[in-house]
Amino acid sequence: MAIAEPAVVPPSPAPVVSRAGRPRRDLTRLQAWGGVGLLVAVTLLALLAKVVAPQDPLAPVGLPLQPPGSAGFPLGSDSIGRDVLSRVLVGLQLSWFGAIVVIASGLLVGGIIGLVAGAVGGWVDTVLMRFTDLFLALPAPVLAIAVVAALGPGLRNTLLAVGVVWWPFYARIVRGEIRTLRARPHVEAARLAGTGGVRIALRHLLPGAVPAAVVAASLDVGALVLTLAGLSFLGLGQPAPAAELGADSARNLSYLLQQWWIPVMPGVAVMLLALAGNVAGDGVRILLDKR
Amino acid sequence: MSARGAVTGGVGPAAATAGPAAAAALRRVTGVPLVRLLAKRLVAAAVIVVALATSVFVLQRLSPLDPAKAMLGPGASASAVAQQRAKLGLDDPFAAQLGRYLVGLPQGDLGMSYRTRRPVMTDLGAFVPATAELASTAIVLALLLGIFFAVSTSLRWPGASVLRGVLMAGASAPAFLLGIGAILVFYKQLGWLPASGRSGITDLPGGPTGLLVLDGLLAGRFDVVSDALKHLVLPALAISFGPAVAIGRVLRTSLSSEERSDYARTARAKGLTDGAVLRRHVLRNAVGPALSMTGLQVGLMFAGVLVVEQIFAWPGIGQYTAQSIPVADFPAIAGVTLLLGIGYVVINTVVDILQGLADPRITT
Repeated sequence: MAIAEPAVVPPSPAPVVSRAGRPRRDLTRLQAWGGVGLLVAVTLLALLAKVVAPQDPLAPVGLPLQPPGSAGFPLGSDSIGRDVLSRVLVGLQLSWFGAIVVIASGLLVGGIIGLVAGAVGGWVDTVLMRFTDLFLALPAPVLAIAVVAALGPGLRNTLLAVGVVWWPFYARIVRGEIRTLRARPHVEAARLAGTGGVRIALRHLLPGAVPAAVVAASLDVGALVLTLAGLSFLGLGQPAPAAELGADSARNLSYLLQQWWIPVMPGVAVMLLALAGNVAGDGVRILLDKR
Repeated sequence: MSARGAVTGGVGPAAATAGPAAAAALRRVTGVPLVRLLAKRLVAAAVIVVALATSVFVLQRLSPLDPAKAMLGPGASASAVAQQRAKLGLDDPFAAQLGRYLVGLPQGDLGMSYRTRRPVMTDLGAFVPATAELASTAIVLALLLGIFFAVSTSLRWPGASVLRGVLMAGASAPAFLLGIGAILVFYKQLGWLPASGRSGITDLPGGPTGLLVLDGLLAGRFDVVSDALKHLVLPALAISFGPAVAIGRVLRTSLSSEERSDYARTARAKGLTDGAVLRRHVLRNAVGPALSMTGLQVGLMFAGVLVVEQIFAWPGIGQYTAQSIPVADFPAIAGVTLLLGIGYVVINTVVDILQGLADPRITT
């Protein structure tokens, strides 16, 4: 908690710490591009999920409770004969784009707040960063539950709720970058040349802060996939017939001991998605991070 | 609050009235960095908790659900709803309602649950001990596992890189998958550990804490203790695995960078063994980042607790939350949010103070 610190001190006592703990191994550049390729591949798969899915994810298409590998059901069928693979694919689409939408909105909001705080400075900076610290000092997933409860359950509200709590980290990073950039000669030169404040902020400060923000955001994709799946598991996502990875696992818990694949497969999909996000995030970090 | 203000400010109204000797003593105390750290952290924690309570209240206002209608049910007449609104003070000015809410909170007034029609505080009281036992076990386990992961991946042995891969994959698994996976392996296949509830014993000691392990120890019932521990293993593992990997990674990084530092080389050069260098010099410096990571991971673990309680039929606030969500029982969920938020703030405050103890250079 960095609430009582003077504003110039970096936010966390340990800047090397990433929020959800991501791998920091040195991969080669090739592996880094592999990570980015994975990002593209997962996005394509998510985009084409409804085309790739062999069956209708919502309709019963065969015998119920078929184990993985039975005819027509590569990952088995659920309690009413729906195709688990098709449901997982469609759920994957939702998880992936949900995570990306939240990250994008978090970057936008956090970026604007960080940019304003860093570029304007003074009391604006103090007020905005105290506000940010307040959010950082509270557990984001728990806060999100309260926000959804207030707005009412549903996917749109869940994404909104997570978006509301997911920007402070980015605001901190962008502000820090802007503060260091402000002291650089090119900004001073621009100021001497009579460039206006807004133009300096947008043309001379913002571009420099983009890499750090994008790195932080891409390292967050995996954590966000997990958070959204957890909230969905708790019943904060879409109502029943819709395919959603967390909720599909939660609703089928009673089948765990006999037909394990029904609750397990969506969980495995979440894990692969988060793993892909982590590996891809690491790739982006290696490619963009100057340090 | 005024006493705290006086401590942080150095010279406050309390010091002015207490005479010069007391003022001097106060000044001496505030000169101690640890006291200043303590005071700053406590004030910060208090501010955060008030802000949390305020935002929960604002959320309730923003909510499209009318509390009066929710309490009376869908069939209530308009006049009954209006009457209930007046009774709850919902037509009062915003500031007055907020003031009433904030004054009520320290007295344990969290409002009435729409679903159970009991005070939320009473409901939480019934569910909190189970969650407290699980969460504290998970936090301790995360720290221990984190240390184990840090050491076992930094040692040079053939399995180290395999272990790193396994840990990375495990850290990408959602807590619910780890939970159901653990049930399939350790309960269904091996039959080693129970997979549901807190205890299989029916005549539990009605102990003072509500924590079965502690109550069992106090009552001298070791069957209860071992049974409770067995029930704790799988859910606590599912919650703490991901956080433990994160903690282990940070600890490994900070350990290896501290071990390369000049003072560590000096200590080795003067003939200390590796173990002694680690214990007496490196550990104190390296533990800070791992501690703050633990504090940050507690937020994730709380979310994990809510999820994992569903899987293991753990009678804690996760069950309460899951029952409250479908019926939009906002006071109940707000109570859970406040409770977990305060728990998070308290734990992180303790972590900050521990860091100050481990490394006196940390004063902010």
